[in-house]
Amino acid sequence: MGQDSKIRVLIAKPGLDGHERGAHVVAYGLRDEGFEVIYTGLRQTPEQIVSAAVQEDVDVIGLSILSGAHLSLTKKVMEGLKAKGANDVLVTVGGIIPEEDKKTLEEMGVAGVFTSGSKIKDIAALIRTKLGKNA
Amino acid sequence: MKKNSKKEIKEALKKWEDEVLNPRVKKFNLDKSPTTFYTPISSDSSYFMDKVGFPGQFPFTAGNNPFEFWRAYANFAAKVGYRSDWGGTGRSGKYGGFGTPADYRDYLLKMQSMGRYGGPNIAFDLVTQCGYDSDSSFAEGEVGRVGVAVDSMQDFTVIYEAFTGNLDIDKVPSNFTINAPAAVLIAMYACLAKRRGIPLNKLTGTPQNDILKEFIARGTYIYPPAPSMRMFRDTCVFCCKHMPEFNINSIGGYHIREAGATRVQDLAFSMANGIAYIEAGLEGGLEVDEFAPAFTFNAFGGSMEIYHEIAFQRAARRVWARILRDRFHAKDSKSMQIRQPITAHIGCSSTTLQRPLNNLARAVVGGMAAGMSGGIPGAFPPFDEPLGLGHSQEATQLQQDASRIMIYEAKVTDVCDPWAGSYFMESLTDEIEKDALAELEKIEKMGGAVAAIENGYMPRAVAKSAYERQKKIENQEELVVGVNCFTGEHEIDVSINRVVEATYDPQLMKTAEERQKANLARLKRERNGTAVVSSLRSLKVQAEDKDKNLMPIICECVENDATLQEICDVLREVFGEAQPMKL
Amino acid sequence: MEEKLALMIEAARKSNERALAKLISHVEDRKPGWKDIMKAIYAETGRTCVIGVTGSPGAGKSSLVGEFAKQLGDMGYTIGIIAVDPSSPFSGGAVLGDRIRMRDISTYKNIFIRSMATRGMLGGLCQAARDVVRIMDFAGRDIVIIETVGVGQDEIEVVSASDYVVLVTYPGGGDSVQAIKAGVMEIADIFVVNKCDRGGADVIVSEISAMLDLSTETTEEIPPVIKVSAFTKEGIDKLMEILSEFIQKKNEGSHYQKEHIRQEVMSILETEMVTLIKEKISSNGNMEKELKLILSGKSDPYSVADELIKRFAVIKNPKQKRKGDFQ
Repeated sequence: MGQDSKIRVLIAKPGLDGHERGAHVVAYGLRDEGFEVIYTGLRQTPEQIVSAAVQEDVDVIGLSILSGAHLSLTKKVMEGLKAKGANDVLVTVGGIIPEEDKKTLEEMGVAGVFTSGSKIKDIAALIRTKLGKNA
Repeated sequence: MKKNSKKEIKEALKKWEDEVLNPRVKKFNLDKSPTTFYTPISSDSSYFMDKVGFPGQFPFTAGNNPFEFWRAYANFAAKVGYRSDWGGTGRSGKYGGFGTPADYRDYLLKMQSMGRYGGPNIAFDLVTQCGYDSDSSFAEGEVGRVGVAVDSMQDFTVIYEAFTGNLDIDKVPSNFTINAPAAVLIAMYACLAKRRGIPLNKLTGTPQNDILKEFIARGTYIYPPAPSMRMFRDTCVFCCKHMPEFNINSIGGYHIREAGATRVQDLAFSMANGIAYIEAGLEGGLEVDEFAPAFTFNAFGGSMEIYHEIAFQRAARRVWARILRDRFHAKDSKSMQIRQPITAHIGCSSTTLQRPLNNLARAVVGGMAAGMSGGIPGAFPPFDEPLGLGHSQEATQLQQDASRIMIYEAKVTDVCDPWAGSYFMESLTDEIEKDALAELEKIEKMGGAVAAIENGYMPRAVAKSAYERQKKIENQEELVVGVNCFTGEHEIDVSINRVVEATYDPQLMKTAEERQKANLARLKRERNGTAVVSSLRSLKVQAEDKDKNLMPIICECVENDATLQEICDVLREVFGEAQPMKL
Repeated sequence: MEEKLALMIEAARKSNERALAKLISHVEDRKPGWKDIMKAIYAETGRTCVIGVTGSPGAGKSSLVGEFAKQLGDMGYTIGIIAVDPSSPFSGGAVLGDRIRMRDISTYKNIFIRSMATRGMLGGLCQAARDVVRIMDFAGRDIVIIETVGVGQDEIEVVSASDYVVLVTYPGGGDSVQAIKAGVMEIADIFVVNKCDRGGADVIVSEISAMLDLSTETTEEIPPVIKVSAFTKEGIDKLMEILSEFIQKKNEGSHYQKEHIRQEVMSILETEMVTLIKEKISSNGNMEKELKLILSGKSDPYSVADELIKRFAVIKNPKQKRKGDFQ
């Protein structure tokens, strides 16, 4: 590992949901944890998210979804990553996620699901542990 | 007993601090007292008429009226068991919508059979809110999900099959939570009235039509801010001239605060947006008193800080009244009033996923704040708000009961502005007003709300405040029960049984997209294509002329079964699309 | 070289996006072997035309870059975009948001966008950016656009390493013309007044022209000043025309080439020296001894710096090498 290595995260809002509070807070929070956060803004298609994740060579993708469309959107992102051979990228999901959907997401390979009341510190810790990086 | 001069009180206060307060603070080894105490010198009551006034009179600090409409009938309603949605969503029916128009129509009919009347208060799906059709690539997975899908006049008509006879649109109001494509939905409503032979001046209801806060908080914008304001102007003039009983908009600080704004930002940004809308109406050639009375406010934001939320409501009424009277020279007192279905409340962001039944206790605090600041004491939102989408009927029942308990048992609303004259409350009201006006001035210096959106100031300020709040919760500067305190092993994780069936049929939700796409395909096959193309062409030509009011041509498009996206696409071509905000 | 790296290079040569991205990270992070990568690809670079875009915050650089990258992409060029944003001096982290304004081109097959944080590197950003340009060049990008906020010296250096520099400003940016005066004015090959749909653009154009008249030698060519709107597309054609000329000229060979290489070697040297000196200092007790001398009045910062340079730097005869010396 080089001296300048940083954890790179893509925070993305797939679909049409426009509630950005969670995405903003996590972006700022992870920046202050020393991560490099690429924020792609509202209304991203799964294709755009996958393409950004590959080009930016991020370690993690954080999807923020409050519209209830989390299952189908996350599935598409996971499939897109796989198609590009980038399935080693960690995917986390944040938003209004009902308990029973958490399991489904985890079965899809999602590394962490964060709902309201989650702490940035916990999100950062989970990412560091899963990546085995201390950056 | 003897009367005290200010000087005497000041001296006595100093003495009290030295002899009583400070020794006690020292005794407990504190840096400062955890409580505050207010005296007559905290607030000058000699400006009573200017600062507070009587309920129903300028500056409306004490309330818009000595008692509101609902209060007049409250006791009667209890005796006959009238199930209103007091404090839930205002006077119209319950806010909702899902699936295809037929799904939602059937749901409404079912609700009516259960004794829920009132006009529709329609939630549209995100596809509709963002100006797309159900067959758009952006629509995948979103059709009929957070609201009902409306692609065309036909869809709109289907929903209203639930509203005929005693519930026809000249008898019940309609609310539309729609912003960027508000003009299209208003046109559909007008078109529906025309087809039913109902004069437009009989129509009542409220479109949200508050595009500016979409840029600051909610994100369902289509065109850039400036042309979006032109669309607002056109709807404002159209409603004012043809639908005088129909409200023009519903300005929302609620979404701004929920997105993370502080109380002061909420007030300042809402006022800045309100000013921009008034200016748009004036630019459209209207007199302020012609249209300002038809402005409404959705709700401002809320929080758990009960005193502050009471003061906030008082300050907000005073600030708006002064803006309208002093800046826009309104004469009609209706122009100066903040009319809103929900007043003080805790805000959905105050609810917690942890031990969710606690949210009922929280909502009651918000209801108390409302009841004590001129509003209906609604226990908003239902306790299951943070669990997922949709409220269970069980939670809604408890929400309504809480509201009733505050009204009938606690008699919270038997006094108008009960805090008037409180040294503390008057001083807090002044403080919130002062801070909000300072923030408003900052925005004015940038060139007003539109400029402060274009340069990213307002949305970025909200994001920063949201982050500050998060940090405070994480380091326990702000305490939230069950979230960052009282989470130990001896606390019982109170679970709840949501035995009540889900609000909407999940099976219908699943198949809505497919069925709605079929509806749309059929419409596109069967409609008169030539008429669609020709009306869309006229729309384009007229859109290019900034002075033209687009409502008549949009009505024509809608009548010819042009779809929502087809109309919005023409406008996208002329106006361009808004850019998402960069952090 | 490690086989993994060699494979990555091979895949990047074939324009594999993921390999290109990984290669960039490896070099940007200065992971072991990064210099081997650069050495291995160097011979196959130098073909690309590098356009630097800078200007005050809020000038709409990203939207403009998005717009002309799209047009260049449509002309058939393959494009790399490097969007540089500052790192937080407190945490070392960053929020990189320029991609937001490039949504339309984010899935274009021939456009590759990479966000880059300044990472607080003294002079190092410039070299890191150069390295990324070179990797993109190697991976077959005809044009590489580097976008930075023209506020810090580092950012200015970054764009000055490009073949052509586009300076973006806009009406209503307060003292935007004043703000760009220092340093950037001299290196701009074209001045773009963006957001001209807003009015007030003509004033900015004449202000810039006046400033250029004053500062440009009569023998030099005065750079063009044009008005555009990334929103209404006004003036974009003119901008494209000028950019096309630049690209054409670059293909004919750049007169800056030798000077750029000189700058680059200097820059690599500077970074390496600083890194080495820092390493030496930290492995030699963090100057604690010397600092004590200064605090007790027995020495001063100037003498200590002289002494340290003598100790770490120039060694005439390797045989005299002692422990702790610069090598």
